Amino acid sequence: MKKSILLGIAFLFVSVIVFGQAKKPTLMVVPSDVWCNQNGYMINYDDQGTLVKVPDYKRAFQENAEVIQVISHINGMMAERGFPLKNMESVIKTLNSNAAEDNLRTSKSSGSGISESPIDAFKKVAKADIIMQLTWTVNKTGPKKSITFNLQGLDAYTDKQIATAVGTGDPSFSAELPVLLNEAVLAHIDGFNDQLMTHFEDLFENGREIIVRIQKWDDWDGDLETEFDDEELGIIIEDWLADNTVKGRFSTTDMTENMALFEQVRIPLYNDKNRAIDARRYVRGLSKFLKNAPYNIPNKLVMKGLGRATIILGGK
Amino acid sequence: MKFRNILLVIILTGFSLNANAQWKKNKANKDTKIWRYDLECEGIAKQGSKLVKVWSYSKNPKHAISRGMKNAVHGIVFKGYAGGGQGCTSLKPLVKSAETETKFKEFFDKFFADGGEYLKYVSAATDGSIAPGDRLKISRREYKIGVIVNIQFDQLRKRLESEGIIKGLTAGF
Repeated sequence: MKKSILLGIAFLFVSVIVFGQAKKPTLMVVPSDVWCNQNGYMINYDDQGTLVKVPDYKRAFQENAEVIQVISHINGMMAERGFPLKNMESVIKTLNSNAAEDNLRTSKSSGSGISESPIDAFKKVAKADIIMQLTWTVNKTGPKKSITFNLQGLDAYTDKQIATAVGTGDPSFSAELPVLLNEAVLAHIDGFNDQLMTHFEDLFENGREIIVRIQKWDDWDGDLETEFDDEELGIIIEDWLADNTVKGRFSTTDMTENMALFEQVRIPLYNDKNRAIDARRYVRGLSKFLKNAPYNIPNKLVMKGLGRATIILGGK
Repeated sequence: MKFRNILLVIILTGFSLNANAQWKKNKANKDTKIWRYDLECEGIAKQGSKLVKVWSYSKNPKHAISRGMKNAVHGIVFKGYAGGGQGCTSLKPLVKSAETETKFKEFFDKFFADGGEYLKYVSAATDGSIAPGDRLKISRREYKIGVIVNIQFDQLRKRLESEGIIKGLTAGF
């Protein structure tokens, strides 16, 4: 009897430890568009008469040793702080090999291929919760060289800049570029991590910030002005958000009869079972709320990136 | 009789030397107690370290030199520094609130005691020698001495994290 009580207590303790931790954000260093453009790592294509330039990361990682060096150095220092980075070069390689495998794979019984919609294909890109956008330029004044270094921490959920480290190093006559780059990383990473820490503290206190969009299918006969018990659907959704966000925090950026946009939606890090939740799990709650009585609105939940969720009302 | 006198002289000399050393120690401690010093970055150190110059004030230049290491560690923990030349960027202190200092007073008193644990995280960067320009007489009875030291920043931060004084970057995840 005593043994089973002890076992129960131990199980509860382990559950709290396992589930009582927020999902650890993933970080990834990405060379900025400016850096790629300045160094010639861009792909140009014609989009219906408009010239569009997109960064060619694969070529940048294959041809530029300095970018590997800087990322490797930042990765080492972040790993030391308990935050090993996702390595973009490896992520790109994995995505490519997965795509090749998916193209070749067929079902043993029916001969069918892997199903993939154009949207699925479009979403196959390297993702991380926090993107560390890296830019550096080499300044030359006569024989002297210096580095202007800029590392921006961008929250992929909201596109907000949550940390930055920017500055120009001391000019040097003799130092090689890799040495100057190493010094730049050493000089800036502690300040960057300090700001990252402030962001995490805010996250624990006020919840994770996400963006929620509501849209409707063309063929649905209702809209956000449809009334239920004398209350418009748009207001009902706002009330749900007010009840389910941390300290009732969110902003209604846009609201028409066809769409609504809610920004700065602060979601809790844990649900009532003390399990870590993310944007998808959170918005799933709203989706179910609308699907159930008395509203009975069938809907489709679509994720964009890591912190943007769209509910499309009127069907799957 | 003669032997007794000699013994007395030896005991008195020993006592006065000890008293003098204790007086000097107290004086140095008194000078340090108010934590009057300036900290500046002295360049980009190797990974995990900070190279700083700490300017300590004292009526006796020797006290200022001996207390430089203690002041430097204290500065990294409680004050930080604002940028500087040689590619330096600003550094925020490891302990950001005054409340934390009060809350963990007992730990810090022990940590910064003479011969305390702080010595593990600091080493002289110039074999203890002071550059002529770093030995300033700022008034008739006061010196300002600049000592360059190397702080084991990452180790110090981990020590404070292990004591629960500051939070690690992964705390809560």
